[in-house]
Amino acid sequence: MPKVGTYRANSVIYFQGDLGDKIFVLQRGRVTLNYNDIETGKLIREIIQTGEFFGVKSALGRYPREENAVVLEDANVLAFTVPEFEAFSMSNTRIIIKMLKVFSNQLRHIHKQVENLMENPSAVNAETGLFKTGEYYLRSRMYSQARYVFGRYLTYYPAGRLAEQAGRYLETAEAALARYGDGKGPAPLAVAQSASAQAGSSDAASTAPQATAKPQEGAGLSDVAKDYYNAVSLFSQEKYQEAMKILKVILETGSESEYVGKAQFDMGRCLFALGQWDLAIKHFTGIVQSAPKHPDMSDILYIMGQSWEKKGDKARAKAFFAKVLSMPGDDDSSARIKAKKALGALGGA
Amino acid sequence: MADLAGFSRFARTYQAGEIIFSEYEPGDSFYLIQAGRVRITKIVGDIEKNIDILSAPEIFGEMAILEGAPRSATAIAVETVKVLEFNRANFEILMMGNPQIALRLLKVFTKRIYDQKRRFMILTLDDPQAKIADVFLMLDETQGAQNQGEELGDKRDFKVTVDDVAHWAGMNTAEVQTLLSHFSNQRRIELYSDHIVVKNINDFIRFVNSKRKK
Repeated sequence: MPKVGTYRANSVIYFQGDLGDKIFVLQRGRVTLNYNDIETGKLIREIIQTGEFFGVKSALGRYPREENAVVLEDANVLAFTVPEFEAFSMSNTRIIIKMLKVFSNQLRHIHKQVENLMENPSAVNAETGLFKTGEYYLRSRMYSQARYVFGRYLTYYPAGRLAEQAGRYLETAEAALARYGDGKGPAPLAVAQSASAQAGSSDAASTAPQATAKPQEGAGLSDVAKDYYNAVSLFSQEKYQEAMKILKVILETGSESEYVGKAQFDMGRCLFALGQWDLAIKHFTGIVQSAPKHPDMSDILYIMGQSWEKKGDKARAKAFFAKVLSMPGDDDSSARIKAKKALGALGGA
Repeated sequence: MADLAGFSRFARTYQAGEIIFSEYEPGDSFYLIQAGRVRITKIVGDIEKNIDILSAPEIFGEMAILEGAPRSATAIAVETVKVLEFNRANFEILMMGNPQIALRLLKVFTKRIYDQKRRFMILTLDDPQAKIADVFLMLDETQGAQNQGEELGDKRDFKVTVDDVAHWAGMNTAEVQTLLSHFSNQRRIELYSDHIVVKNINDFIRFVNSKRKK
């Protein structure tokens, strides 16, 4: 059973650098976590709210405490050992989910900070890295792995600098796989050498552009795919305006129905994220009318419901959430679960 | 184990040797192993390095929580592998009914956050030699628990290559090679092709602390 500890004002529950296996919950009083920001060195004071957990990461991860936990006003603190916390969490999933969200945000944040410092020449760019990975597998006669990686390369970078070579290597890998099987036959890359190395140094790079017309899927589609993934990435960075610009181009070009459909949906998500409820509703209504079989229909209806709810129209919101539940498909799709929850919060079906 | 019967539509099966995802590929899914073993590898220079072998009920690919970031390693099925595939949008559904998995993911995140913070500390050092020394301190802090018993006083043996150190320090291999040779000439480390011995870890601790700005 977790134990309640009583701490007087100005005492310290734990110091930075301490090793400790306790996870705390503030029950009464005031506690702050004091630490220096790793980027600026500035002293940060984080006030713990009553009912809030602290000391979770260092206890679960078994690494030293990262802050001083200082008591400002006499406090009662519940202390869990890690096994006690684990047992507690089994019946309190919501708390764990909340922590997961907090931690995943922290992870995203620190990862971005690290990325910012990593701007250096040794960092391999993802496109070249993927290609080189394929080369490695081809050279090692792991044909099916090479086939996978070059296939991925062409999916993500259909008009990429090394696309022509990737296409050729893909064919080589397929042929070798069919003729010899994995791990057998003459090493296909011993002769061909490494194209990625050449491309960096010599004129191989300048000959690459003629490849753009070659990939079977066609260059137009390729660019659309690339643009679409850029837009999704911008969306995830909350750069909605920029994402919308790209999505607009995809919709206007309209060259690949798969991406046009996706872009339509994401356009609406951007409008919603920007708080443009009316525009979001209008946009989604357009999709519902023109593409009633859109693969993301449940999500579309759910966001429309959310938009109405944001506008304060509970009746319409409910109607849309109910519609999500009436859609055919999996019972536990995310839209259905969210709609059910939303409907419950609005006072039932 | 958790009740995952309702999640069959997330189920994927991979045959032995099949790649689940490749290093540098943009990733938006992460995986919970249900059966079979998964090899996590990285190609460093001309060698495929095994980073880990995972089995049920472990989670991998969780860095997909950072949308758009390329995969930092390749995941290959060792034998027939059954996984559940999730992404940022739907992981909450799985976690809701499966606190064990949520707790496991929570622990994975705490470790990743720590790793990244530690990495950040290395990268903010100005002195390139201190960066390299700090890489060894980081490895010592994270490997310490596993290597107990093998430690001989202040001496530490790290199963890393120059490329690995360069990777962690965010520096290019040639520069790291030069600086490591310098350390080696000073007899502070012993340099081998597949491992590096630090003669006195406390010497490195003092060195790094003296270079860290307050």
